Amino acid sequence: MSSPSLTLPSQERPAARRRRLLEILGALAIAATYVYLVLNQPSDITGGPGSASALIALSGFLAGAVLLIVAVLPTLPASTLVLIPVALVLNIVLGQFVGSTLVPFYLDAIGTVLIAVLAGPAAGAATGALSSIVWSFFNPTVLPFAAGAALIGCLAGLAARYGLFRRFYLAPVAGFVTGIIAGVVSAPVAAFVFGGTSGVATGAIVSAFRAMGDTLLAAITKQALISDPMDKAIVFTIVAILVYALPRRARQQFPFLRRHRVLAGKAPAATTEAPAQGAARDN
Amino acid sequence: MTASSPRTAAGPDRPGRLNPLTLLAAAGSTAVITTAAGSWPLSLTVLAASLGLSAAGGTARRVVAAAAAILVPLSLSLVMLHGLFFPEGTTVLAEWGPGRVTAEGLGFAGRRILQLGAVVLALLVFSFSVSVPDLVAALSARGVQGRFAFVLASTLTLLPAISARARRIRQAQESRGLVVTRGLLSRVAAFRLQAVPLVLSLVEDAGTRSAALEARGLSNAGPRTSYREVPDSRLQRTARAVLVLVAAAALVLRLVQAGASA
Amino acid sequence: MDAGKAVRANRPVLAAGIRSFTFHDDETTALRDVTVSFAAGSFTAILGASGSGKSTLGRLLAAWLPPGGHGALAGFLELSGSRLEFDGGPSDPRIDPAQWGRHVGFVPQDPATVLSTVRSTVAEELAFGLENSGMERAAMKAAVGRTAALLGLHDQLEQDPARLSGGQLRRLAIGCAIITGPPVLVMDEPFASLDAAGADGLAAVVRDLLARGTAVVILSQAIDPLLLEAGTWVVLSGGTVTGSGPPAAMGTGSGVLPPAIRRPAPVPAPVAVSRPGVPQTGIPALQLRGVDFAYPAGPGARRRLRKAGPTGEPGGPPLVLRGADLAVHPGEIVAVTGPNGAGKSTLLRHFNGLLRPTAGSVLVRGADISGAPVGRTAASVGLLFQQPRDQLFERSALREVSFGLARLVGPALAAQRATAALASVGLADAAQEHPAELPASAQRLLALATVLARKPAVLALDEPTVALDGDGLALLDATVRLAAAEGAAVVLVTHDLGYARSVAHRTVALDGGRLVPA
Repeated sequence: MSSPSLTLPSQERPAARRRRLLEILGALAIAATYVYLVLNQPSDITGGPGSASALIALSGFLAGAVLLIVAVLPTLPASTLVLIPVALVLNIVLGQFVGSTLVPFYLDAIGTVLIAVLAGPAAGAATGALSSIVWSFFNPTVLPFAAGAALIGCLAGLAARYGLFRRFYLAPVAGFVTGIIAGVVSAPVAAFVFGGTSGVATGAIVSAFRAMGDTLLAAITKQALISDPMDKAIVFTIVAILVYALPRRARQQFPFLRRHRVLAGKAPAATTEAPAQGAARDN
Repeated sequence: MTASSPRTAAGPDRPGRLNPLTLLAAAGSTAVITTAAGSWPLSLTVLAASLGLSAAGGTARRVVAAAAAILVPLSLSLVMLHGLFFPEGTTVLAEWGPGRVTAEGLGFAGRRILQLGAVVLALLVFSFSVSVPDLVAALSARGVQGRFAFVLASTLTLLPAISARARRIRQAQESRGLVVTRGLLSRVAAFRLQAVPLVLSLVEDAGTRSAALEARGLSNAGPRTSYREVPDSRLQRTARAVLVLVAAAALVLRLVQAGASA
Repeated sequence: MDAGKAVRANRPVLAAGIRSFTFHDDETTALRDVTVSFAAGSFTAILGASGSGKSTLGRLLAAWLPPGGHGALAGFLELSGSRLEFDGGPSDPRIDPAQWGRHVGFVPQDPATVLSTVRSTVAEELAFGLENSGMERAAMKAAVGRTAALLGLHDQLEQDPARLSGGQLRRLAIGCAIITGPPVLVMDEPFASLDAAGADGLAAVVRDLLARGTAVVILSQAIDPLLLEAGTWVVLSGGTVTGSGPPAAMGTGSGVLPPAIRRPAPVPAPVAVSRPGVPQTGIPALQLRGVDFAYPAGPGARRRLRKAGPTGEPGGPPLVLRGADLAVHPGEIVAVTGPNGAGKSTLLRHFNGLLRPTAGSVLVRGADISGAPVGRTAASVGLLFQQPRDQLFERSALREVSFGLARLVGPALAAQRATAALASVGLADAAQEHPAELPASAQRLLALATVLARKPAVLALDEPTVALDGDGLALLDATVRLAAAEGAAVVLVTHDLGYARSVAHRTVALDGGRLVPA
């Protein structure tokens, strides 16, 4: 057997610049699409289906999400890659569980936010986008929301990176803010691609705003601002509970947690930790 | 339409089946062209063709059930929204309080529903007739494609396995005296008790799996081969290229038109 | 140390000298002063109790735990003549797991976790590693055929890997590890939860590999019959090597093997039934009256039936239980035995209502449980499942045992009961540890303690001996007897006939859906 080296080169980052470029392009595509839609919206909406706005919303957001995936996916370590399918299933399974027991939230981002907290914003963004794309296999209408889902994953990862999960009460706050941003960005998709929302309950809320004379985009944005922030606040709280319940051994798989001291507790260097302190940590 | 060729669903192992990428190109370009055209006769044609294809392929029941689960609430929502409240509408058919049923509103809702229905059906016919192992094998195993194929296939495999594990955990917890009552607090507590072991065991298993797959060369940089043979031909490769070009052309044409009229 | 030297004198294909290995954020070292080496064609057993560091050592040897990734290694690893030195610093070499994996195959305790989840047949699963190294299809087919023949998986090649039996899954996991022909194969607890037929099949595979010159290393907490053929035994305890040598020199008299390492118990004759009987009078704590049960036929099951032809039951899905009768009195220990798939776990799930009989009734302390929610019946019926981590969810062992106790008996008594239950399974010192970080044996005992603390009238245990080391088995035995002496009715379901006969007052067998005296 020919025997190549058993070790990896000590440093390897040849593709880092290309990756960064793709990330920036993806983010730009999403941002530009949003700005364009908001600036040009009202005249077009009643122009009928197949309007240019729907196409721009679809292609711009989708292209952005795909660029993000292309940039991030090849660079993820195997431990994160293997966890992404698990997160996608958790998005569905836990979302369903909560959906059936708790009240009217969709809570379909638990897995995405979990990955973002464990592995960082890039992994979170890729997971969010992949979640929409893979789920569109069964429900094609979620495909246009890939950019919004990627944004949620990215923001969750940033929140973790900058220590918002170190204090238990900050997690829902971060979730609330994420919900506002994600809701506002996703609203044009609902408005231009679907001409409304996919559920009857949310449709009723939009109807109420329309009855008051709002444009469709304004009505849908307001509806998103009612449900999304609360939804994401709950999701972030659930993820905080889950992450703090993970034992040390399980957390070790994720260098992101250690490098940025995402969770409260011990310092990055292995200082000893009293058991009592560990027990009193959360809640 | 574009996908009028031998069925795949009839027998995934039958020789002469189509390359899954050809199917994907057909379904995707149909969806793009339908959206770009925005003409309800075309939407109706695509809808009927998709239904016909799935009936011929024997997947009609599952496709219709999945499509109904998506389209019925969406349609209700759109009809309620635009049927009753369409301030831009002028031809008033009926009026109750703040609600005004306008012809424009109903027309708008109807066209949207037809168009979305066409796109959803075209894509669902693809989902329910494609052989996922073939699709995974057809995507190159390297780089983004390979990793995307991994995520797609792994998710589809894990979905039933994880649901079963969640059920098992629920049973174990009930055997420890967990009673879920109607109270919100009780439900929240039950959620924590069940989600924590579920997520924990999944994260642990994923750690082992990643070590196993690394040892089996998941991250290898070199060329890959595929054990599974996926049928392909020059004709299909050409057809895929044409489909993608036509879809792109339709997209550009529509945008140029819109730019000219704006 | 001289592990492996006894077998053959050629130079080792794999060797390790571990001064210390410490997981990140851990205060104690997981391994220290471990030196092992394995020559081509040698057979080594690394024996150690649950938590002795066996799995950590195995993963380090196979680079499933690459130094630097999860912990810091000080020492060296040597593979096929190239030696890598580590001192735990940032300048350590980084192992390429894929290259290492071509030389050292590893099979973890749970074989299901090695499946790629992206391949739809056994053949493709086996080929996954070859695809990634870019092998031509013809060569892959040949390698898959060879490996399947070696493992006896020829008839399963076109099956979905998720539908294999436990023994087949274990062999598939081995196949995935050896298909590239690594000179070393490391297996972690390969015999756990295999029945006799599965163990024989595995032993044959190991002998075949040894004959081909593969060095085989088996990590185990029990001395399975095959391990008597090993050239060397290395005993691991508390993360360090406490003894090694040929098995003959390490017999029972030598004192080298700690009692925590299980030996196969000889199956005692059924004479043991005649132990001082328990008065079978009064109301039974648990009674099954003519219980029938069949799993409802889902759409999938129906399709399978149709495919199978008209041989199925005429009146619907086949009965798993038919007319099962059982009465267990307070203080009595009853063992239910039967081969895999006989419906033992199905029977157990009727005791607290997780499954409801299609005909017949289940009575707990004389009361029919048909209307009661499972969570309420659980106050009188403590059920211990096979998979302990499904039942554990708190962040310390003490909180785990205390869960729900205060509501049952009041806070003062709860604290006392929780501490006592932990102590009775030998986990008093682990009260503040995270349940998920305990060794497998301790996890099972902790799950047992959560049930014991509630002092249920009926204690039902599903395969309680699996994953327990020798110490754990002794503790299980003591606690089960104590619970019975205090008046609990104990039912244990096990395929371990030796254990069943040694502990139970009477043994019944589940045969064709009926319970018959064994």
